Parts: sequence; C-alpha cells; structure tokens
Amino acid sequence: MTRRSIDMAEVLDRLNTAAAAIDRTVTLMEICGTHTVAAFRCGLHSLMPQNVRLLSGPGCPVCVTSQSDIDMMVALGSLEGVIVCTYGDMIRVPGATGSLETARSQGAQVRVVYSAMDAVQFAAEHRDRQVVFAAVGFETTTPATAAAVVEADRRKLDNFTILTSHKLVVPAIKALLDGGDVSLDGFLCPGHVSVIIGAEAYRPIVHEYHMRCVIAGFETLGMAAGLTRLTEQVRDGQVLLENMYPQAVTSEGNRVAQELIARVFEPATVAWRALGEIPESGLVLRPQYHQFDAQRRFNLAAPDSPDPEGCLCGQVITGRATPHDCGLFGTACTPIHPIGPCMVSFEGTCQAWFKYRRPAEPASAGGRS
Amino acid sequence: MCLAIPGQLTESNGDEGVVDLHGSLVKVNTMLVPEATVGDWVLVHAGFAIQRLDAQEAEETWAVLEDLQRSIEAEEAGGAGA
Repeated sequence: MTRRSIDMAEVLDRLNTAAAAIDRTVTLMEICGTHTVAAFRCGLHSLMPQNVRLLSGPGCPVCVTSQSDIDMMVALGSLEGVIVCTYGDMIRVPGATGSLETARSQGAQVRVVYSAMDAVQFAAEHRDRQVVFAAVGFETTTPATAAAVVEADRRKLDNFTILTSHKLVVPAIKALLDGGDVSLDGFLCPGHVSVIIGAEAYRPIVHEYHMRCVIAGFETLGMAAGLTRLTEQVRDGQVLLENMYPQAVTSEGNRVAQELIARVFEPATVAWRALGEIPESGLVLRPQYHQFDAQRRFNLAAPDSPDPEGCLCGQVITGRATPHDCGLFGTACTPIHPIGPCMVSFEGTCQAWFKYRRPAEPASAGGRS
Repeated sequence: MCLAIPGQLTESNGDEGVVDLHGSLVKVNTMLVPEATVGDWVLVHAGFAIQRLDAQEAEETWAVLEDLQRSIEAEEAGGAGA
C-alpha cells in the first residue's frame, strides 16, 4: 500500500510539474464511459492541476445511440410474440414513446442479459417466440455479438435476430476533429476498445490530425499516468501515440476478435447522437447473415426521431457543453427521471456529474482561463 | 459498457472456461483467446475472455507506473516514443 501511494504521488507530481510549465489550459478528452466513471469514482478531477481539463467525449455507447435506434428497440418490444434482450444499460433510455422499461410495464417482453450468448440460449429455449438482441457497444462488445450470430447460425435458430447499433471509435474521433468545434490537446484513448483494435489503430489520428493519443487502463494510477504523458507531450511540443496499458493492449490488438467481427459485420454509414451520420462508423450484418437482421425480419423503417426538447446530451458528449449548461440538468432531468441518455446510463457524463456533484466550471463552454 | 475485469482461468474446455473473478467462479467463452491456458490471467467482458494478460503485471496493478517509467526512460535514451 505504501508503495502504491508513493507511486501515485510521483505521477501527480510529474503531472503538476508538466502543467506548471504550460501557460495555458490543456484540454484533454477521454472517449470511454468507463473512464468517465473511473475518473469520478477516484476523484481524479480534484487531483488534477487547475489548467488541465478532462472532457468526456462520445464514449458511452448508450449515449451515442441515436434516438431513432432507441425508438426501434421500443417498437420491437411492443410487437406480439417478440422478446427483446438487452444489456442493462439500455433499458431506461427514453425514446419518443417511452423506454424499454416503460414498454415492459405495459406488457412488452424485455429481458436484461449479461452476454449476447445468453440471448442465443434464450432463443433456443423459446422456439415459439422471436428473440431480438439489442446490440449496442463499441469494439469491446462487438465480438460477443458476432459470436452470438455465428452461434445462432450454427444452431440454425430462425427465431433469433439482432438490432445492431454497434459503433467504431476511430471514425467518431475523426468526425469530432473534422467538426472543428472543440479545441483539444489530446485523447485519453479507451483501454478495452484498444484491447480489440490495437494501439496502431490510432496512428492515423496522430499522423493525419496531428493529435496526441495515449491509451490508458482504468486504475486510478493508469488514468493519471495517461493524463501525465499527454500533458508532458504538450509541454515538450510532442505529438505521440503512447500505450500506457501494455499489460492488455498490443500494437495489433486481438486478431481473433477482429477476424470474427469482419466475418459477420461490415462497416457502414450510421447515425450517432449529436454527431449525425458518420461514414464507415458503424457495423451492419454482412449479406450472408441478413436473416439475423431484426430490421429486415420485422420490416422496420428507422423513424425520424428528434432528440428530446431542451436536452444538451449531444453537445455534452462532443465536449461543446458541460451538463451545467443544460437547463434540464438536475432539475427536470435526474437519474430518477432521466430525459437524455447521458443521465440514464451509469456511464453517462450527466449522471456522473449529478451523482458526484461536480460543480460548474468557472470557465465553462470551452473558455481558456 | 466497456468495463472488463481481470480474472484467472481455472478451467478450460474447448471454447468454454471458468474464470475466478476475485473469488467468484464465472463461466466464460474463451474463443477470442485461443492461446489462453488454465492459470492464465484474462480480461473478461460480457461473458467473453477478450485478452490474455501478462500474469505478473495483472497481479501487480501498480506496474502501470513502471511502464510509464520505462517509456520515459526509452524516450530519454533514444528519442521518439511509441
């Protein structure tokens, strides 16, 4: 324990030394809901130097799922004979006509599963029902969905489909940078997405966009070490790709997982909350697996669903606003009665700010103090 | 959602395994880590082992700092990082 606390002190000392040598605000962004929560849980924000800001980017899968995808999930749950299986994070996200949870209270069949494979097993045990798995998540989660589809194919299950909202992190980073609305000094890259895609996946961000990328794990020390390296790079005028989570992340990533994803899915232009449609940023089933596509099986058209009125989730997940800039935050929109997805998900920025009572920043909305 | 937890593989049979997650024995699918054998540390996410971990480093989480130190030393010794 002694050793650990000394190490943390050392890392913070280096972070402070680096920050003190920079005469402006350094703005960094994490792109991972797990980082968002980990930072709050350990009080990392309060340990950081005054002139180093850590924003939350579009890294919470629930928060980036478009309103129209959520409405489709809820619509599916209301169909006769259909059971929607979903990860717990999605169940309370409100669509235009309510959430999966409210649909369930009105009789819709909605089940929370731990793994995509559980949904396949459930379909095998309920052959008289149609089981739809609401497949959300970034690259960490996608291999499990791909494996579920392959397993359903092997077992010749004609009552299993997926409604896919899987998304890719690197195209989202590019879209964020292309948008040009947010001035950033570097990205704290998501550890477990990187386990799958590999450190080298961020090379184009460093080379083409001249943007620092440091991969970090989820221990307090790992995140602090990542922020320290980003800040030191700023001080030293460097723009590097660095992997601070080498015990789990390799240069090339998990090839088996990548091949599995590529076998089942292909990249497509998909809609993100706030970021709109981004080319090649999502995954759809390859033609040979179209029989597992819920949208095709149930002939669902993606509804044109506007974001909730007054909700700033879109701006929050792109670093253009903090939760306190939103008129609904903490008043109309709370974890008990969430209006936007960032307040629903336990990884959402708004819920984290609310739960940990983070005060408004003196220089909000991107100002440099 | 991308939370993954390190645990030690205690059983392995084809694509099915059991991982000890801080004392809880949990079934996992091991198809994504074909190289993992019993005794290895793996990262578990949504019922799947997604990566085999370096055992020593998995057991000693503070090793992150040493990695930091190594990367700094490498940088100081020979220029460009990663």
